[in-house]
Amino acid sequence: MKAGLVTSVTMHAALLGFGLFSLSAPRAFEVADVEALPVDIIPIESMTQVQEGDKKAALSEKPAPTPTKRPEPVENAQNTGDNDVDLKTPPTPEPRNREVEKTAEPPPAPKPTPKPEPKPEPEQQQAAAEPTPVPATEVRPEPQPKQEVKPDPAPEETVVAEAPEATESVALPNSAPVPQSRPQPPKASTAKAPERKDADKPAQKTASKPKSQNSDELFDEVAALLNKDKASGGGAKRSQEQASLGGSRSTPGEKLSQSEMDALRGQIQRCWNVPAGALDAENLKVSVQMKLDPSGNIEGSPRIIAGGNGTMVERAAAESARRAVLQCAPYNLPAAKYDTWSEVIVHFDPSDMF
Amino acid sequence: MESVTLAAPGGELSIWALFWQAGWVVKLVMIGLLVASVWTWAIIVDKLIAYARMRTALNRFEKTFWSGQSLEELYRALSERKTTGMGSIFVAAMREWKKSFEKGARSPIGLQTRIDKAMDLALTREMERLESRLGFLASIGSAAPFIGLFGTVVGIMTSFQAIAGSKSTNLAVVAPGIAEALLATAIGLLAAIPAVIAYNKLSSDAGKLAGRMEGFADEFSTILSRQIDEKVAAKAA
Repeated sequence: MKAGLVTSVTMHAALLGFGLFSLSAPRAFEVADVEALPVDIIPIESMTQVQEGDKKAALSEKPAPTPTKRPEPVENAQNTGDNDVDLKTPPTPEPRNREVEKTAEPPPAPKPTPKPEPKPEPEQQQAAAEPTPVPATEVRPEPQPKQEVKPDPAPEETVVAEAPEATESVALPNSAPVPQSRPQPPKASTAKAPERKDADKPAQKTASKPKSQNSDELFDEVAALLNKDKASGGGAKRSQEQASLGGSRSTPGEKLSQSEMDALRGQIQRCWNVPAGALDAENLKVSVQMKLDPSGNIEGSPRIIAGGNGTMVERAAAESARRAVLQCAPYNLPAAKYDTWSEVIVHFDPSDMF
Repeated sequence: MESVTLAAPGGELSIWALFWQAGWVVKLVMIGLLVASVWTWAIIVDKLIAYARMRTALNRFEKTFWSGQSLEELYRALSERKTTGMGSIFVAAMREWKKSFEKGARSPIGLQTRIDKAMDLALTREMERLESRLGFLASIGSAAPFIGLFGTVVGIMTSFQAIAGSKSTNLAVVAPGIAEALLATAIGLLAAIPAVIAYNKLSSDAGKLAGRMEGFADEFSTILSRQIDEKVAAKAA
């Protein structure tokens, strides 16, 4: 027995010792390093709502409205609104006006006055030179020094570039009207002046009315007026991308959600006193149509559009339905979806009630 | 965006650490099972050695017995030293035979029954020695898993109570307590499995040895009864 006990004890001791050193803590499982996937719970309405887009465009992932088009000026426009004379040459001052408006500051005002004077001269000379090509080379060196003078204000270069083109195209019919068009640039500069006067006039008026007001307030009012002028040009939404499928405007959801429907149903159900006879009768279905205003009140009187035509019981049921609709009158519905519930048809079915 | 990182389990999870983290009931169960395992293996080793010795002793005795040596000489040789197995059966039978004939036996039938009884007694004594402590193996084999399970249940109970206190159901909190509790069942099974296997093998071995000794006893009994008949006939003649 002793031998057995000794062997057993040594064996166990050896095994335990081995276990203590070799069977250490099991290695922890390697958890795959997966990025956590965020899951958002969003109401179904936000998915079903109509995005602004093009009705005929293909479905695309990113909603985009129809790209805005910038109205481009018609080239070689014949009719010039402010002109006294119907000219065939395109009025050059107009683009100059717009560009100047952007920079629109009082300082450039003195500069344009010297410019118009040199311009007509080379153009007239060019126009005169065109019939006789030989002197043209003699004339050309003259505008070059002028170009060197011009670079100070940016718009002048464009004017110079346009001017020869215009003269080339116009040169063919007649040279007579051309000089008449040249004096217009000063008119254009004067045309700017009336605009400034428009802006100035309200400022002057406001200045004259309350003299006690600060000059800062005046500036604000002027700025507000100027801002209005600029805002008239652009659209509210801009998009450079291809239009995606969508409606003409965004709506915040097509239908009332299920819970909103349930709320409406419950509200009407509470007000509905089912006539005693209606409980037994089958097919006593009544449909009531009502118009609601944005605050949830009934406009006019609800109309019974189905049922309630036959027996006394049916008529009583229809009346009770109408009373129920009237009694619950201010309906609490989401204002954003007013389009969907401006007209509501309620179906009353007594057999579902109990 | 918030990403969840799995926290590493707080405690160490080596077997030694698990043992020390356990509650005292579980510790007691584990220690008891360990002692039982030690004792089981002691019995197994002891029995294997004893049975091997017994088998060789039986073989040697059978060889000498059937070698044609006279029974008197064999008895003289065996009675001087301590005998086991068939030897002790032979010695017991011969002692009874000698006593009866030296004092002059009156009835051969009584002598026969006396010799048989002496041999039976010697046989049962031998068997008792062979099968001693096998019962412990059997009981360890059946009870150790339950004892281990008891430790596990207690451990899991206490660990669940601790979890309820910590108010966290994170697996990292739950796991160490359960692992530590399951260690008790593991030790129980570790003790029980060898005990069951050894019990089955040793009891069948003991049965085989007992069968051989019983066979020898029967054979020797017939030899002795023949001798008695011859002696009675010689006396009568």
